[in-house]
Amino acid sequence: MLADRIAIKAGLFSGPLDELDSLHLCGSRCGSCGEMTLGSNLACPNCGGEDISQVALGDEGRIYTFTVVRHRPPGNYQGPEPFVPFGLGLVEVDDVIRVMAPLKAATDQLEIGKRVRFSPYVLRTDGEGREVIAFAYDVVEG
Amino acid sequence: MDDVYIIGVGIHPFGRFDKSYEEIGAEAAAAALKDAGVAWQDIQAAFMARMYLPATSGPRILRRLGQTDISVIDVEAACASGGAALRQAVLAIKAGDAGLALVCGTEKMPRGFMDPSMIYSAWQVELGMSMNPAYWSMRAMRHMHDYGTTAEQIAMVAYKNHRNSVHNPFAMYRKEFSMEQILGSPLVCDPIRLLEICAPNDGAAALVVASGRKMRELGAHGIKIAGVAHTISRYSSDFRCPAESMSMTIDNVGPTEVTAERVYSAAGMGSEDIDCFEVQDTDAFCEIEIYEELGLCPKGEGGRFVEEGHSALGGRKPVNMSGGLISKGEPVGASHLGQVVDLVWQLRGTCGERQVEGARTALAHVLGAGGNCAITVLEC
Repeated sequence: MLADRIAIKAGLFSGPLDELDSLHLCGSRCGSCGEMTLGSNLACPNCGGEDISQVALGDEGRIYTFTVVRHRPPGNYQGPEPFVPFGLGLVEVDDVIRVMAPLKAATDQLEIGKRVRFSPYVLRTDGEGREVIAFAYDVVEG
Repeated sequence: MDDVYIIGVGIHPFGRFDKSYEEIGAEAAAAALKDAGVAWQDIQAAFMARMYLPATSGPRILRRLGQTDISVIDVEAACASGGAALRQAVLAIKAGDAGLALVCGTEKMPRGFMDPSMIYSAWQVELGMSMNPAYWSMRAMRHMHDYGTTAEQIAMVAYKNHRNSVHNPFAMYRKEFSMEQILGSPLVCDPIRLLEICAPNDGAAALVVASGRKMRELGAHGIKIAGVAHTISRYSSDFRCPAESMSMTIDNVGPTEVTAERVYSAAGMGSEDIDCFEVQDTDAFCEIEIYEELGLCPKGEGGRFVEEGHSALGGRKPVNMSGGLISKGEPVGASHLGQVVDLVWQLRGTCGERQVEGARTALAHVLGAGGNCAITVLEC
């Protein structure tokens, strides 16, 4: 039997958590101004509109900008131990939104404009035995 | 309406001290009162800027000077806390609620990266999206891509500020570094290096502010607050907030430009009228972008601006004569008021080796979490 699963942040994903291949990031589109924001939101941060519909964001994107984090982040960081430097970037999706996200690829492969793909994964198991689902973007080869 | 003046300033050095935050803050406040020639009992309202200190820090610090019954409130607006507190004091004076007010900023922070739970959500911390320098670095990376800004130009900001700090007795690091040392220091978050970022630390700074009427009554000589503004970033204008996402269809003007526009309009001045600047250099790249956003040079030319020496002491628009936060450290609640204290000394002409000759006008700028931005313009 599959373990229960929970999203690392409520409303972040669209689709079934137990089928990672069919999981996408969730966006909120405003019916008034058309703006798309990340996650499941009640109101539009651009115009204040409340006519919001949830949509699945596309899985493909491009790196708008990035950095390589070379020191273990402070606090409750759940990445690999011992620490391994990793990429962090803003990923352009569907020509409407830039998503802040960890980048899974080897750090020397990262560059602005590079194609990446949404990649959800099991981050850890929480205190109640549930698998916590997180996400990153992985560089698409070629 | 009557103008508001700074009639006394005080600072506790920025650094790391075996002292309580109460002692650090009270020392700066007492120094400002002494400089103004007024007693604590004469102060009618007080504002304590701080971010990482506990509740009621203001009363706990200031009761060391005497337990009066005035309004003392803590003000928090991340890196712009000092500007937000100063703005409150100016509003109180302009409203006629007080003739004489104290504004103090105090901080005591542990070494290393700041506690991420203060400004990030739990899930961002788990995924490692919780280091401030990462966001500054992403901004730098894109600027380099769009405008050809170089790693050397970024390092030149750190070189200039570390060099200026040698003359500032209140800075934490008073050491000059060569370009080779800066460019050879370890990367923290590409492309930003260790000698190009500031460190959180301890410190305090304080101002006594007065209405023009009160100043004349006291026979004091003040520096005029020509304008003070505080804003937070509007939708899709700055991903350093830190934002979870940005729009690709809306690119709003960032907090520094919005705040500058407000303060320039209040002061009846533009960047061309201002003689010297203290700005947020939490990382060396940030200062390059701020040149552009304050209007010191066109968009994309900030790298060239520092390379050509315009922001150096002796240049046409000196920036961070104090050594900036890169060398002073950033006691968050105290940083903006520390800039203002140094600029008051510039306008009094008492800065010695770091003095900008003939400075008559000055601008202090801070920018941080939540897109909190504050700018103060002074005039003598």
